[in-house]
Amino acid sequence: MEQLLQHLERFSEVLAVSRTTHVSTWDPATVRRALQWARYLRHVHKRFGRHACISKALERRLQNQWKQQGDSGPAPAPGLANFQALGHCDQLLSLRLLANTALGDASFHYLLQQLFPGPGVPDAEEEWLQGSLARLARRRAAIHMLRFNAYGENPVLQEDSLMKTQAELLLRRLQEVGEAEAGGPGRLLSSLWERSPQNNFLKVVATALLLPPSSPRHQEEELELGSPKTTGEEGQKLLRWLLGKSDVMVAFCRSLPAGLLTSVAGRHPELSRVYLGLLTDWGRQLHYNLQKGLWIGTESQDVPWEELLSRFQSLCQAPPPLKDEVFTALKSCKAQDGDFEVPGLSIWTDLLLSLGSSA
Amino acid sequence: MAQDSVGLPSDFQFWMRKLSVWDLASTLETQQDTCRHLPRFQEFLRQLYEALKEMDSNAIIERFPTVGQLLAKTCRNPLILAYDESQKILIWCLCCLIKKDPQNSGESKFNSWTRVKGLLSHILSTFRFDIKEVDLFTQVLGYAPTDYYPGLLKNMVLSLVSELRENHLNGFNTQRRMAPERVRSLSRVCVPLVTLPDFEPLVEALLTYHGHEPQEVLWPEFCDAVNEAFLLKKISLPTSAILCLWLRHLPSLENTMLHLFEKLISSERNFLRRIECFMKDSSLPAAACHPAIFRVVDEMFRYALLETDGALEVLAAIQVFTRCFVEALEKEDKQRCQENQRGKESFQQTALKQVDIQLKFAFKTYFPYASPSLVMVLLQHPKDIPQGLWHQALKHISEMLKEVVEDQTHGSYGGPFESWFLFVHFGGWADMVAEQLMTSEAEAEAPEALLWLLAFSCSPGAGHQQRAQTMVEVKAVLSCLMKLLRSPTLSARDLQAAAGEGGEGAPRPPACQQLIRRLLLNFLLWAPGGHAIAQEVITLMAQTDAIMHEIIGFLDQTLYRWDHLCVEAPRSRKLARELLAELRGQA
Repeated sequence: MEQLLQHLERFSEVLAVSRTTHVSTWDPATVRRALQWARYLRHVHKRFGRHACISKALERRLQNQWKQQGDSGPAPAPGLANFQALGHCDQLLSLRLLANTALGDASFHYLLQQLFPGPGVPDAEEEWLQGSLARLARRRAAIHMLRFNAYGENPVLQEDSLMKTQAELLLRRLQEVGEAEAGGPGRLLSSLWERSPQNNFLKVVATALLLPPSSPRHQEEELELGSPKTTGEEGQKLLRWLLGKSDVMVAFCRSLPAGLLTSVAGRHPELSRVYLGLLTDWGRQLHYNLQKGLWIGTESQDVPWEELLSRFQSLCQAPPPLKDEVFTALKSCKAQDGDFEVPGLSIWTDLLLSLGSSA
Repeated sequence: MAQDSVGLPSDFQFWMRKLSVWDLASTLETQQDTCRHLPRFQEFLRQLYEALKEMDSNAIIERFPTVGQLLAKTCRNPLILAYDESQKILIWCLCCLIKKDPQNSGESKFNSWTRVKGLLSHILSTFRFDIKEVDLFTQVLGYAPTDYYPGLLKNMVLSLVSELRENHLNGFNTQRRMAPERVRSLSRVCVPLVTLPDFEPLVEALLTYHGHEPQEVLWPEFCDAVNEAFLLKKISLPTSAILCLWLRHLPSLENTMLHLFEKLISSERNFLRRIECFMKDSSLPAAACHPAIFRVVDEMFRYALLETDGALEVLAAIQVFTRCFVEALEKEDKQRCQENQRGKESFQQTALKQVDIQLKFAFKTYFPYASPSLVMVLLQHPKDIPQGLWHQALKHISEMLKEVVEDQTHGSYGGPFESWFLFVHFGGWADMVAEQLMTSEAEAEAPEALLWLLAFSCSPGAGHQQRAQTMVEVKAVLSCLMKLLRSPTLSARDLQAAAGEGGEGAPRPPACQQLIRRLLLNFLLWAPGGHAIAQEVITLMAQTDAIMHEIIGFLDQTLYRWDHLCVEAPRSRKLARELLAELRGQA
């Protein structure tokens, strides 16, 4: 077992090196050894995939590595991320080497010979790799064709394929760093918030919070596809991080479309309470302009009346209990303000009147 | 291979021109043209690879100076990359160029080398969405595009599937409705991709999609591609989806039938078990539960029968098809009854149960030219009737048929041919007549009704007079055979004499000869002394190859029928099996 674990560690290093310029020193024999290693580990995956204790031990070792490398910040995944990745590690290695321009000519020749031996290969292993790479090329072409010929962006954001895929990737990465260390997920998320385009990130987070936890049957399929094997746990980690970061939460509730926020709030009661709190805070910032007969803000960053109304409208269309909670909150705010029924005195009265007339 | 590559240079020029045209404009027409040429182009690529593999770099430059250009154009064409195994063969071709290119030999070589390398990585990995946010996000997360292709493709397919389904469910919901043109273009995009397993849900959703448009929205090329893939077993689809395909695209159904005929012709003759496998495998019997499919299939069988002048092999295929079809009908009916019962019981309306035990479509829709009562009788499986009553049932069938055939007032049920064609569908009954005549000892004289049925089944076109003549001859042969049945000593010569072959008078018509042979064979199988002389009789009988095949077919059919009817006749079975094995060895 210890030997296996060492193999795993070594190979993870090889994989990390495979996309650096260090491969310029690799000769054909090195390429051969690396490929042999990858193949061996794929066998390990096949053989021990159903043995929970062995796969757990292997995974723990991989995560330890993560932890060590994680100290330098969440850089691109250098080696093997999880036990599942073993299932296609030879494919991963091959692709990295093919794309690496630093690989010398002789080694590249050798690599091609190994990867694409041609038709009628008696070796099922070689045929597998060749077939899997060709399938990858085919899928790539398929995505290209769908995207440019038949695919329309889905107006329902959380059902959009690109969004969903990004959300799945986020959860998958959360799971991979999950057990490595206590602060892992939080650190990863904070760094993503700082380093990636924020609007896209917030949309991905919202979509991830709406993804249904995968069922065991789906997990089986996903195992083959090499995509996530997430449970509801990652979603909870994401939610906890979001609720703990007030600046992110404000941006989340302020910049995302009303419908999307209503869906997320409907799914996660903790989030709906914070959202409602923010909405009432924003409402309190507005004051009534007698001349114009309108509720307006004093500062430029204040949320305009129209936006506030549209968010409440969307929430009131949600199924109960969310809808009832929203009304209760509005009514209690109205009571605090003196329970006026005349417009122009309390924003809550006016909101309730507008919601009543639009309902 | 050398033979294959003779025309390669001219093909090369042809495809170079095609690729240039496709490359210049990606219009609907060029896409359509590409889709049409995909299988041929793949074949060309394969030949090109075989040629490149054998050549050194100088030979390649000499023979195909622009091969790099051709492959580069191919790499840029997503339709080709998406089709079947084209991307794999293309990679092999590129590898040939790289492997053949001598290393360290000047800068120009090196350039082409890196170009080919670039093409390879273009095919395999450098796909970008050109959406900055997405690329950046995945990059920050630490994933390469190849990590999420499968998941992304799956999401895209599922999203399209749910859009199509939603269309189907609430077609008037305009917000999420997929415009017919989009469905059409989607079906076009799928042409090269139908065999990619990730696309199966989408292919199924497209096939079962029904918009509100009067015209067909799916591209005919899409239907062709799906059917082709289904026939070659490169795709697995539920029967419901295949049924939709055949209902909306007649050429697909016709091609499936032709494919079945080809399989039947190329496989070993007279192997009903195997024919049954082909039938079930084709999904045709199950799809034929829909009357529109049944009628087309049946019509094609009718033509095949007429074109081959009633070939026994075609007849056997029709009978096997009918058997599988009836089985599928019963299965479907049973399923529906179970569903209904479940529904009814929950509503406590069990009294209505009886009403539901009938088929979704009336038999009349399957056999519009036949008398419904005759269809009902024929559809009854002999196995469901006690063996002692078979005789009775055949008599009944005979009377009904005779009434339709000989009484001209029954104009509405088609002519004698229609009645005959209906009757021969049901091998369980049609092949039983001669056997019943031979084995029912109870009656001293052969019953007229069965004799008539036998005479009718062998020559439906015969007139009343001719049929009467056949019946007389058969009756004479039968009475001789009956006497021999009880004779303690039996010889092949006796049997030949009984059959009256070589006798005086005008020779019998071929159909009548065939009938007598059938009687003799039945006699051999059932007579106590039959096994001793069987070999000899058959040798005397089988004067031509055609007759030999007829005898083999008879034995195979008989065993197949007995198996299905669970006929207990160990001695006869053993003999039939031995004879069949022996004759197959000789044939």
